Amino acid sequence: MHTLLKFFSSLRLTVVLLTLSLVLIFFGTLDQVEYGIWETQKRYFESFLVVWSYPLQAPAGASLQWLKIPLPGGYLLGGFLLINLLAAHATRFKLTWKKSGLFCIHFGLILLLISELLTDIVSEESQMAIDEGGQANYSETVLENELVFIDRSQSDLDTVHTIPTTLLEKGKRIAIPDSDLSVRAIQYYPNAKIARAPEASEASALNRTIANRGIVERIDLQVFEQPMDYSQDSIDTATAFIEIFDASDTSLGIWLVSNVIDERFPPQTIQTDSKSLEIALRFKRTYHPFTVELLDFTHEKYPGTEIPYNFSSEVFVNDLNQNKKQKALIYMNHPLRYGGLTFYQASFANEDTTSILQVVKNPGWLLPYISVLLMGLGMCFQFGMHFIKFLRKAKH
Amino acid sequence: MFSEKQPYILTNISLIGLLVIGLVLLSACEQQAAESYTIPKEKSTVATTSQSEEPKMQVLPGMQSFADSASGISYQTPDSWTEFPPSSIRKANFKIDNASGTAEVSVTVFPGDVGGTLANINRWRQQISLSPIDQASLKENISPIIISNHQGYFTKLEGNTESILGGILPFHGSTWFIKMQGDILVIEEEVDTFKSFLSSIRIEDNHH
Repeated sequence: MHTLLKFFSSLRLTVVLLTLSLVLIFFGTLDQVEYGIWETQKRYFESFLVVWSYPLQAPAGASLQWLKIPLPGGYLLGGFLLINLLAAHATRFKLTWKKSGLFCIHFGLILLLISELLTDIVSEESQMAIDEGGQANYSETVLENELVFIDRSQSDLDTVHTIPTTLLEKGKRIAIPDSDLSVRAIQYYPNAKIARAPEASEASALNRTIANRGIVERIDLQVFEQPMDYSQDSIDTATAFIEIFDASDTSLGIWLVSNVIDERFPPQTIQTDSKSLEIALRFKRTYHPFTVELLDFTHEKYPGTEIPYNFSSEVFVNDLNQNKKQKALIYMNHPLRYGGLTFYQASFANEDTTSILQVVKNPGWLLPYISVLLMGLGMCFQFGMHFIKFLRKAKH
Repeated sequence: MFSEKQPYILTNISLIGLLVIGLVLLSACEQQAAESYTIPKEKSTVATTSQSEEPKMQVLPGMQSFADSASGISYQTPDSWTEFPPSSIRKANFKIDNASGTAEVSVTVFPGDVGGTLANINRWRQQISLSPIDQASLKENISPIIISNHQGYFTKLEGNTESILGGILPFHGSTWFIKMQGDILVIEEEVDTFKSFLSSIRIEDNHH
C-alpha cells in the first residue's frame, strides 16, 4: 500500500503525466486536420486510450501507413493527474500559513479538472433556427440523429417516441417506448448518398433499396454508403433501413429513413390496427418548456463591404408553464441566459430572415471561473510572500 | 513517514477515485436510452435553414424595362395551381401546395438566346445540384414541344430533393422560360398538368 501511495504521490509521475499531456495535444492537433474539432475532441480528450496513425496525405504517407502510436486519452491523464495531486496532498503537504497559497492553487487546479469532466458529461449544445415572425420550442444538433415515431392522433398534443441512432448501429431489436411495437435496423449508414434509381439499369439493381414501405413505394431510390465527413460545416446524411414489428412479432415492412428525407417530403407512416405513427430519422431535438419568438433579425455590414459589423436577434421568450414573458436582444458577446440555457447569436440564413442561435446547457459554467480565480489568488499570495521575504532580506 | 490519520486519507482518496470512475462510466452511457414525451401540437411552419423560399434572381440593368415592354401573354391556369400577381421580371407566378409537397412555377422572358439552350439547361441543373451535361447529351435531356405555335423545348430534370420541369421557347429574338421547381413528388405528379399548361400559353405575336 505504501509503495502504491508513494508511486501515486510522486512528483515524477506528475512530470510524466504533464509530458504525455503535451504529446497528446500535439498528436490531437495533427489529427484535427483529418477529423475536425468535434471528432478529435471525442477521440483524444474524452477517451481513455487513442491510437494515432500516420496520415495518408502526409509526406511518404503510403509507405509509413504501418506507423501507429498508442497514447493515453484525456480521461486517463486527467484522472491520474487528479489522483496524483490528491495523493501528494495526503502524504507530502501540510496545511500551514506559509503553504496556503500553494493549497489555493492546487485546489483551483482540482476544481478545474473536475469541472472539465463535468462539462464533458452534462453539457449539451444545439442550435435553434427561427424565421422572422416565427417561433421555435426546440433546438437540434446536426452531430447526432434520432429515430422518431410521432403519434398525431390527439387534438392538442403530439406524442413522440425517440430512439437515438447510436442504439440502431448495433442492429439489435429495440422496443419502441410506451408502445407495443419494436424496431430493428437492417442496415445503418452514418453517412450515405441517396439518389434516384435509373430506370431498368442492371448495374443499379445491386444497390436497389431493400425497403418496401413508405417513400420507396412512390419513388425508386438507391442508397450508396459514404465515408464519414469530418470537415467543418459538413453534415452527414445518416440513413437506415428499418424493419418494424407489431405486438405479435409480425413484420409490418421495411422503411427507408434518412435525415435528408425531412419536412419537405410527405411524412412516412406506419399503420397498425389501433393507430397510425409517423416515422422519421432526424437531427436530435431537444424540446424546451418555452417558445422563442424572433421579432427582428438585424445584419449590419461595414458600408460598401460584405464584412459583417453586427448581427443581432430581438427575441421574445414565452414560458408555457409559468406564464412569464421576456424580451431580449441577443448579439455578439451578449447572450441570453434563460431556464438554465445560454442562447448565443451563431449564424443566419435565408437572406437575413432566419436567425440561428446556439443553445448551450452547461450547469458547471461558473466552475472554471472560480478555479482560475482561486489559482490567481494563490499565486499572488505565494509570490507576494516570497517577494516580501526578499525585501526583508535586502533591508538587512 | 505516514501519520496516524493515514487510513482516513486513503479512504478519502479511494472515495474520490470511485467518484471520478463513476462519473466517467456515467458519461459512457449518457444519452443512450429510448424515451417518450409529449409536445404541443406542431404546426408545419418550421424554419428550414438549408433552403430559401425564393432564390433571388439578379436583375441586370435594362432587363426590367425589357420585361415590361415584352409581348402580353395569356394562358389557362390549372385548377390545382394558385396564381400570384406577376413580380419584378416574372410575367406569371404560380404556387402548388399539396400533400406531396410544394412547387413554384414562373414565366419569364429575356432578350436574345440567353447563352443558348445548353447553358440554360445547365443553369437549371445547377440549381438542383446536378452536374452539367455536354452538347452531345443535350438531346437526351430535351424533347420538342409546340408552344404558342412556335417550336420550343420541354425538359424534366430530376434532382435528389428537388426537380425541375421546364419549357424553353425562342420567340422572335427573345426567349421565354417557363419553369416549375419543387419537391420531387409534386413534380412527378404535375408533368401532364405542366405540359398542358405549356400548350395553353398564347403569346401576343405582332410579327406575322
